[in-house]
Amino acid sequence: MPPVEKVDRTLDCLKLLCPVPIIKISKAVKELQTGQTLLMLADDPGSKADMLAWAKQTGNELLGIEEEGKVFKFYVRKTR
Amino acid sequence: MDDAPKKLLYIQTNGVESPERSATPFYLASSAAAMDIEVGIYFTVNGPTLLVKGVAEELIPKKDGKGAPLRRFIDQAAELGVKFYVCQPSLDLSNINFDDLIDGVEMIGGAAFNDMALEADAVISF
Repeated sequence: MPPVEKVDRTLDCLKLLCPVPIIKISKAVKELQTGQTLLMLADDPGSKADMLAWAKQTGNELLGIEEEGKVFKFYVRKTR
Repeated sequence: MDDAPKKLLYIQTNGVESPERSATPFYLASSAAAMDIEVGIYFTVNGPTLLVKGVAEELIPKKDGKGAPLRRFIDQAAELGVKFYVCQPSLDLSNINFDDLIDGVEMIGGAAFNDMALEADAVISF
C-alpha cells in the first residue's frame, strides 16, 4: 500500500546515476507547494541511502519507501 | 532542523594531469547543493588547470575515455549554486591568468580560505 492516497507529482529517475536523482528531486521539490507530495522512481542502488540523507538534511519528509525488484519508490512530502 | 544552512568546503588539488580525479568534487558538491547545503570548491595546486577556458570541454573523466566531458559536471554544479574559488599563487604555479578561467570563479586569498575552512561544517580534500 502506498503511504499516501495521492501524489501531486511523479519524478522518473530510472537509469539515472548519482548525483542526478538527488539533483532532480531537489529541483522538483522546490517547485511544489508546502504539503504536496511527490513520488520518485529510482534504480540507482545507492538511492535509498541518498534519499534518507537528503530528507534528513533538507527537512522534507520521506513518507515511505517501497521496493519492487531493483526499483525504489520514494514518497516525499514537502515540509518547508 | 536548524534554519542556518550547513556549509561544506571541498578542496580540489588535482588537475588536467589526472582526468580520473577531476570530476568527483563536482559530483559531491552538486549533491550537497541539492541537499540545501552551502558549498564551495577551492582549487589549488593543480586544481586551477581544470578551470581554464576550453579545457573541461575536452577532458573526459572516465578512464575508458568515453562519457560526458568534465564541463557538464562543472556546469551542473554551478547551476546548483556551488561556488568556485582560486587564489593567485596557485594560478601562478601553472602560469594561468585569472582572465583565462571560465566565468563564475571567485578570487580569494589564503586568509579568506582559512576563514571559510573554519566556518564550514566539514572540509573535504581531494
